[in-house]
Amino acid sequence: MISPAELRIVAFTLEMAVLATVLILPAGVAAALALARYRGRGKGALETLLSLPLVLPPTAVGIALLELLGRRAPLGAWLAALGVEIVFTWKAVLLATMVMSFPLLVRSARTAFEEVDPRLVGLARTLGCGPIAAFFRVTLPLAWRGVLAGAVLAFARALGEFGATVMLAGNIPGKTQTLALAIFHENQVGRDDRALLLAGLTAGLAFVALWTAEWFTRRRTVRTVA
Amino acid sequence: MIVVELELPLPAFALRVKATLAQKTTAVMGPSGAGKTSLLEAIAGLRRGVRGRISLAGAVVLESQRGIDLPPEQRRVGYVPQDAGLFPHLTVRENVRFGARRGTERVTSAIQTLEIGPLLERYPDSLSGGEKQRVALARALASDPRVLLLDEPLASLDVGLKERIVPYLLRIRDEWELPGLYVTHNVGEALALAGEVMLLRDGGVESRGAPLDLLSSPGLTREAEAGIENLLQGRVFAHDEPAGVTRVELGGGLVVAAPLATERAVGWPATVAVRAEDILVATEPARGLSARNVYDARIVAIDRTGHDMTLRCEVAGGRSLLVRLTPGAVAALGLSAGRRVWLAIKSHSVRLV
Amino acid sequence: MACLAAAVLAPVAVDAEELLVFAASSLTNALQGIGAVYERSFGHTLVLNFGASNDLARQIQAGAPADVFFSADVAQMDALERAGLVSGAERLNVLSNTLVAVLPIASTSRLVAAADLVQVRRLALADPQAVPAGIYARQYLVSLGLWDALSDRVVPMLNVRAALAAVESENVDAGIVYRTDVALSKRVRVAFSVPPEAGPRIVYPLAPIAASRKQGKHHFVRYLVSAAAAEIFEQHGFALERSLLR
Repeated sequence: MISPAELRIVAFTLEMAVLATVLILPAGVAAALALARYRGRGKGALETLLSLPLVLPPTAVGIALLELLGRRAPLGAWLAALGVEIVFTWKAVLLATMVMSFPLLVRSARTAFEEVDPRLVGLARTLGCGPIAAFFRVTLPLAWRGVLAGAVLAFARALGEFGATVMLAGNIPGKTQTLALAIFHENQVGRDDRALLLAGLTAGLAFVALWTAEWFTRRRTVRTVA
Repeated sequence: MIVVELELPLPAFALRVKATLAQKTTAVMGPSGAGKTSLLEAIAGLRRGVRGRISLAGAVVLESQRGIDLPPEQRRVGYVPQDAGLFPHLTVRENVRFGARRGTERVTSAIQTLEIGPLLERYPDSLSGGEKQRVALARALASDPRVLLLDEPLASLDVGLKERIVPYLLRIRDEWELPGLYVTHNVGEALALAGEVMLLRDGGVESRGAPLDLLSSPGLTREAEAGIENLLQGRVFAHDEPAGVTRVELGGGLVVAAPLATERAVGWPATVAVRAEDILVATEPARGLSARNVYDARIVAIDRTGHDMTLRCEVAGGRSLLVRLTPGAVAALGLSAGRRVWLAIKSHSVRLV
Repeated sequence: MACLAAAVLAPVAVDAEELLVFAASSLTNALQGIGAVYERSFGHTLVLNFGASNDLARQIQAGAPADVFFSADVAQMDALERAGLVSGAERLNVLSNTLVAVLPIASTSRLVAAADLVQVRRLALADPQAVPAGIYARQYLVSLGLWDALSDRVVPMLNVRAALAAVESENVDAGIVYRTDVALSKRVRVAFSVPPEAGPRIVYPLAPIAASRKQGKHHFVRYLVSAAAAEIFEQHGFALERSLLR
């Protein structure tokens, strides 16, 4: 039913999605925390900027990334001089996916952090915790469900990312072809039956991801702020 | 000892407090919005923009001139907020141990002092208000602080519950050598616990002094809750079953008879509470009176509080009792400061706290 | 020239219509030029839809309301004929083209023959599995025995113009496109041409779509094979496949 090449596409897609999610976690959590706590001017602008990839068409994000990283751009040329190629490689897949998934993680995590009573953090500080210890011992344990939900959303988005990916990474079989790109390609070459099979696989993966997250968040959650 | 000389701009005014607090416990009182909580937070290091000098039990935690401004985790203050602020995701035991440094000695002592042993494996959301406060107190103590900062710790508790926690506070005050700042609206609490009262208004210290002195201050009594309670500490002296009373010795030869309470062990500390409204005043030694508690006293001060008059009377052993009378009664008896009177209290009006 | 065309075609003038024309992307500039003249001369409106021929054929098979189809290879037109969407009698082979290998204009790479392509790290082609330009390129490389070595370095693009753009952006080292595409670009240079006799046979077939009810479709098809159109095609570098004046 499913060919070895298609299995490799599934594996590659999963690899990229997992890696992207893991890589955006530190910055995403940090950004979410900053947005939850920061109350100064410019907060609105920062929030909007970070949310842009959510509402922009993925192709717009794709072209922006291309302009930034293409060999003719300053950044791209500098990277090329260092021997680092991004456009049309798996790194482009990873990068495009990370950019598109980032705002989803930040949104969920930020809401979760906002729900943690800031006075609890202050109390932890008086009890001897530095800011980082207070985060790991109080804030994160109380907010982890929201952070996890954000990570799962980011992962699901990463599974399905197409527009920015196809522009930055191209649709190169065996190199940058994720499930989403493969579905498009199979349809392009007239093999709709394979396209449907791949679409089904993608749906299956997304289902498992979401169900797992659901299972985690459904478990005992009796404690609210005491 | 707490030495404070700080300034902190706030939205409505600037908090400016300069004080050396030598008493074990200082009550911080004043109207809402006077800056009491901000003061505690400034001392704890939870506020930005504080300038001046703060020294806690000899350690300088803030000195703007020398560029010293320790973060909260280095100040070693035991902060207990109004609603306990327990960490909901940790058990009572984990909460108490949260700030403990090397060794478990203090943790064990704190658990014992606050008698929360049976609660250790429970989670905060299953505790009553009083239990939460005790855990919060234990947590603060276990972290080996230099000072205690208590922000209206009893405010969210019912009257009955309040009285049950006060002894723990007294125990902390007496058994742990910790200076403390205690924010409260309740005059009774201030009387029971503090060696000194500091009155804040609009960010500044309006007055300072012994609790009983300050009680006459109009500013304070306006804020005081209706019904002043006399709280006196002593030890259970004896149970007299035929007479139906438990006698509590208050020191200086003063003994109070309270309704029989055999569950209290003889020799154990006890606090008695008598409402100012429940004390009778006589200008002559009373005869044939049912009241079991009659004391020789001298009126020290008389003040108007609302529609009533409050008398401060000194009894044996240097203790003071507050008595509330109607103006009519005061006039009818011709009471004035300096006058010798006899105070009568029914044993039923005495509560063991 | 336009007058001659008008003289040839005038007897079958029809009411002004809007015609939807699906055409290979390599025909973009030539057809835009021809279309402008056509609209001015005859008052019809042309909606030109350019793309990879396989993509366009697929859309027509899925029911897209095209009136005319101008493909870059015979395979796509055959597919439509098999599906009954065009009539064999109405098909015309109109143009031919030449493949060229291109480099970014600033490239210092020494690429003069197909064998040199092995130096290239990334080679842009229109999708060699489906798009005519890519299929032609692959056929050429296969015929030289170079495909196995090079297939790994191919970056498949959506159509031949996308392959050209990839070379212009310098994100690939080289590409194989039509000679007609290069004429318009200032950012690439030709490394070498594929001589027609050495390369695959490139044919651009044209046909009206049978299902379309527009009368103008036949008129436009005939215009495309007229001398007026032929001149414009030649200006853009296309080779003419057949004698057009009839």
